[in-house]
Amino acid sequence: MAVDTEQFAHISRPLAPNVLAFGASNAPLTVNVQPTAIFSILDHAVRREQPTRVIGALVGVRSEDGTEVEVRSTFAIPHTENEDQVEVDVEYQQKMLALTLRATSSSSTASHREQLLGWYTTSHELNSFSALIQNFFASPETGTFPHPAVHLTINTEPGAPVTTKTYISSPVAGAPESCLFVSVPHRLLRNQDTAALEAIAHAGSTEENAAPLVTDIDALARALENVTGLLDRVSNYTSEVLDEERDGNTALGQHLMNALSLAPKVDPEAVEADFNNHIQDVLMVSYLANTIRTQIDLAQRLATSNIIGFGDKDGEKKDGEDGEKRGGDRRDGGGRGGKRGGRGGGRGGNQNREPREPREPTE
Amino acid sequence: MADVLKDVPVKSVQVEALVVMKIVRHCAATFPTTATGSIVGMDQEGVLEITNTFPFPTVDVTTTDNHATNDASNLAAAAPRSKANSLYQNEMIRHLKEVNVDANNVGWYTSATMGNFINLNFIENQYHYQKENDKAVALVHDASRSSQGALSLRAFRLSPNFVAAYKEGKFTTESLTKSKLTYEDILVEYPVKVHNTHLLTSYLYQLAPPPEESEVPLPSSLADIEREPLRIPPYPSVDSLELSIDPVLEKTCDLLLDSIESHYTDLNNHQYYQRQLAREQTKITAWQAKRKAENAARAAAKQSLLPEDEYLTLFKLPQEPSRLEGMLNARQVEQYSRQIDGFTANITAKMFAVRGNLVPE
Repeated sequence: MAVDTEQFAHISRPLAPNVLAFGASNAPLTVNVQPTAIFSILDHAVRREQPTRVIGALVGVRSEDGTEVEVRSTFAIPHTENEDQVEVDVEYQQKMLALTLRATSSSSTASHREQLLGWYTTSHELNSFSALIQNFFASPETGTFPHPAVHLTINTEPGAPVTTKTYISSPVAGAPESCLFVSVPHRLLRNQDTAALEAIAHAGSTEENAAPLVTDIDALARALENVTGLLDRVSNYTSEVLDEERDGNTALGQHLMNALSLAPKVDPEAVEADFNNHIQDVLMVSYLANTIRTQIDLAQRLATSNIIGFGDKDGEKKDGEDGEKRGGDRRDGGGRGGKRGGRGGGRGGNQNREPREPREPTE
Repeated sequence: MADVLKDVPVKSVQVEALVVMKIVRHCAATFPTTATGSIVGMDQEGVLEITNTFPFPTVDVTTTDNHATNDASNLAAAAPRSKANSLYQNEMIRHLKEVNVDANNVGWYTSATMGNFINLNFIENQYHYQKENDKAVALVHDASRSSQGALSLRAFRLSPNFVAAYKEGKFTTESLTKSKLTYEDILVEYPVKVHNTHLLTSYLYQLAPPPEESEVPLPSSLADIEREPLRIPPYPSVDSLELSIDPVLEKTCDLLLDSIESHYTDLNNHQYYQRQLAREQTKITAWQAKRKAENAARAAAKQSLLPEDEYLTLFKLPQEPSRLEGMLNARQVEQYSRQIDGFTANITAKMFAVRGNLVPE
């Protein structure tokens, strides 16, 4: 995890003269990574066949001035690597890129179109093979040229922390198997999809690494318990300070004062009124929804039920008539019942709802 | 919600964290347009493990006016069963297979807004998948509900009874009475579990460790506290304490009104049909009475009798409209009302908490 803070020494990468002609800049580059991308890489790392590292491509969007990129998704690329050579399935990469882009590009506008951004690997080691692959991803024909290709490394060694690093590169003196990696800052975007992250984190906190999804009310209970626990901890601390059991800390004291002064001053009557209004709204809508459900349920049941009294009477009255006719009559009877119940449902719902309508603007 | 377990091999669905994230991302990116995609995985001893997913491409539409967005939504909703997409899906799965991803299609996913996913499109898509693979499931991610509280990701399949009825395409009163099929058993829901790999779990722990239990070093100045950004662990989330009432109520009311509307339309269709039927039947009875009288006269005059079943060819009974729409609508309303029940339980608790906090006893 590199930079959540803004402290990072940007080193501008040296540019080759022929790159400058294409308007490439050496402005600082920030890489934003979606959690999805990291998850994908980790999944790939778990599924690898060979004990060595695996590689894959990074796909995402680039800001208009090219100083910020956002890695949105990744895909794995099969490759083999041994002592003296490395093989990357280029054809696979091209096809997979086309497939991935087809799914994402059409829904967004041109400026937010996803594109190839670079590649990832599951070890922090930067060797000459890394340079080879990096040059492949940065080249004009197959890569991200004139923008720099981003290289993301993630450590998946057992026993070591899972850390990520990002680099861009500059070519070195025309040699295809070497390049200069320049470290760039990156940030994990985690302000969105909090509900999903919560569910996943919950699964991670259990013994078997799996957890059923919880209902809203359970989630609420959990959150409340958590917050009460934290508040208790703080109040324990303050009471200990007040009882002179431990020394007070001015910084914490200031922080707590600041936090408490954010509590709004409210008029109890206004709160009471607001509360009553809202609770009535909520209960009303809930009640109406259930009424409507019951009505429609009734309509459905009547529509398909055999009202026996009806059917038999009809049958006896027109004795000797063929079955189809009788069936039709019975259907008629049942349908009529359904109609009545159903219409009541429709109208009832509308009528009940109407008194609510004028109130809505006052909310 | 009660999980009706039929004698099918699949009992629950286990979704990999990666899949959850990918689906949530895709749905959020296209919101409010419907997003659809394919899911792959395998079935293991009654647990359907979903291990990867990819979105379906949507056709280019110029999103200049509201009408076009509607079209895009429709197109995306129909995407899972379109021909081009099943080709795309096969191609994608073939490529995924090369990097050791489970290469079995096990269904599809779709996004929803406040649970409004039960419609003909959904049924057709799921039928399309279930026809090919009996174990296929549909994952439904509700983007609006997830933003209100806990993640809403649910797995559904069509019940075997419904599939049988849908195959025949007959949803008349008579067939429904016979098969005892009601709106409640169109869909079968399966419990969903989220599963993480160990690698992912350790990564998450590093991202945001839970608060330390023991003593922590105390800060020396206020700036120290402010400089260190607070890393709130994603679980348990404090976001579910958010108090937002009106948007949910408004949306639910809108959706309920829509449902009432379509219920009404459905009703009108049936009423029309009943009237037609009644009219035809009166005609038939009149015709039969006339023929009987005629025959009686002929018998008296010792003439040969006229056939009495000629009316079958003379009159045509109107076709009964399908009950399917109504059933789906009923199921949808049930879904809304359960949803609002859950919401009420949640929000009242929060509101009482707020009042208790702000109003002195």
